[in-house]
Amino acid sequence: MDPTLLTVAEASRAIGEGRLSPVTLTEAYLDRIAALDGELHSYVTVLREAALDAAHGAARDIAAGRSRGALHGISIGLKDIYKTRGIRTTAGSPRYEHNVPDEDAETWVRLCDAGAILLGKHETHEFAIGGPDFGLPFPPARNPWNTAYYPGGSSSGSAVAVASGLCAAAMGSDTGGSIRGPAAYNGIVGLKPTYGRVSRRGVFPLSYTLDHCGPLTRTVEDCAILMQALAGYDPQDPASADTPVRDYRAALTGRLDGLRIGVIRHFHERDAVADFGADSAPNAAYVAAFEDACRRLEALGARLVDVSLSPLIDYLDANRLIMLAEAYALHEADFRERPQLFGHHMFARVGLGAFLSAADYVEALRQRRELAVEFARALADVDAAISANATAPAPRIDQVPFWGVFERASYTAPYNLTGSPALSIPIGFENGLPLAFQIVGKPFDEAMVMRVGHAFEQATDFHRQRPPIAASLPQHR
Amino acid sequence: MSEPISSERFAVLVERAGLKLTPEQFEELRQGYRFVERMTRTVRRQRDRAAEPAHIFVQPRI
Repeated sequence: MDPTLLTVAEASRAIGEGRLSPVTLTEAYLDRIAALDGELHSYVTVLREAALDAAHGAARDIAAGRSRGALHGISIGLKDIYKTRGIRTTAGSPRYEHNVPDEDAETWVRLCDAGAILLGKHETHEFAIGGPDFGLPFPPARNPWNTAYYPGGSSSGSAVAVASGLCAAAMGSDTGGSIRGPAAYNGIVGLKPTYGRVSRRGVFPLSYTLDHCGPLTRTVEDCAILMQALAGYDPQDPASADTPVRDYRAALTGRLDGLRIGVIRHFHERDAVADFGADSAPNAAYVAAFEDACRRLEALGARLVDVSLSPLIDYLDANRLIMLAEAYALHEADFRERPQLFGHHMFARVGLGAFLSAADYVEALRQRRELAVEFARALADVDAAISANATAPAPRIDQVPFWGVFERASYTAPYNLTGSPALSIPIGFENGLPLAFQIVGKPFDEAMVMRVGHAFEQATDFHRQRPPIAASLPQHR
Repeated sequence: MSEPISSERFAVLVERAGLKLTPEQFEELRQGYRFVERMTRTVRRQRDRAAEPAHIFVQPRI
């Protein structure tokens, strides 16, 4: 049996029952990385020896009755903006190509304490925004469903590695959709938790008030397992919230009876074309998949009601302006003194922040509060809401629009602005490439978002499909 | 989408920002400046003077 086909929950059960060793599991992932990643480019650093040492240690501890729980012995990866003590952390940038931090990101500390094994660091767009850029030292990751296609970004390598069975789960970051976009294009699950739910400490910032850290997994249950380790107050992260953490796996009931779920349709049905033009029109196959997903939620017992908000552009432009202002402030010294160290995409995208005024930034923040209040009111009468994700399958990697981050509609960024929990989950395929939608919740109600996602997942089999390139290696069959 | 800002006007903005750009970088950012113009238009609207921004100062916990 190929152990890399197992979900985190399944592998954990097999390890607990003595049917699978963490060493066997780790070796299988390392074999796959060696065989496949030359084409996929999902890792910038592979920690072969350290991972095997950790796996042997986990095996000894578990055999001695010292199991640390569901993540003990499970192989994961981190987006290469997560600081790792003594391990190179590049942020995808030539500026940090040889950077070795002397501290760990708080999220990695929590996962490590839970027994997770670090296989390596994943390719990211430069500073979590500048890509896909072919001029950097680290080649952009490729979509495993078709390597001529874009895997999304900026948590590109993390999503590709999970979808391809090159790790069991991974950590990404999300400022405008950088977890949920790659999750959609790779056919996996990605959660952007509530702002303040998961510590950002030790993760290279892009935009202080919009950055979120969260997991990428193959199933919602796996997402719940990681979130149980990740969620919680961090007094050294100024944005961290001291709010109780639910039992996330216990919330996965499989049914939606009695729930009211809002449907945010006008973002993709009306606003995308009205505000961003015909290039942002949803693809017909996507619209059909979205409607079919709505019907499946109703069949599971949910009552769907349309939700109306301000136009999409109001959310997107406030998000983008805040991101630009904060990111430029962070990198201003390098823009003035060492601009040659930035890649082409990063330079152009963040460089526009040089031309914003303080009043522009404050006005965007005032708009953010208005929209957050509007969104909270809109969700007051429902348990959760669904919203489009990317409304077409991934483009070819050589046809990603250079200014797409500003000129196209995005359905993920509104929930960075509101700080809401938002889960991306697969809803179908077109031409062999995955499609997805989002389930959005009230602040700190990740449990409800995952409950809805898990019930939907149990009623479908999209999450069980695997990219052809990710077929089992002969030695694992 | 509006016409790109003129090179003359954009040069003033670049100077004020303290950037030293190659001709290619200058032209690229000049083309992208239309997005800055759109974003600032979107967020500038009539508001009650008491409408507060989305984040406020919070005392650090040491």
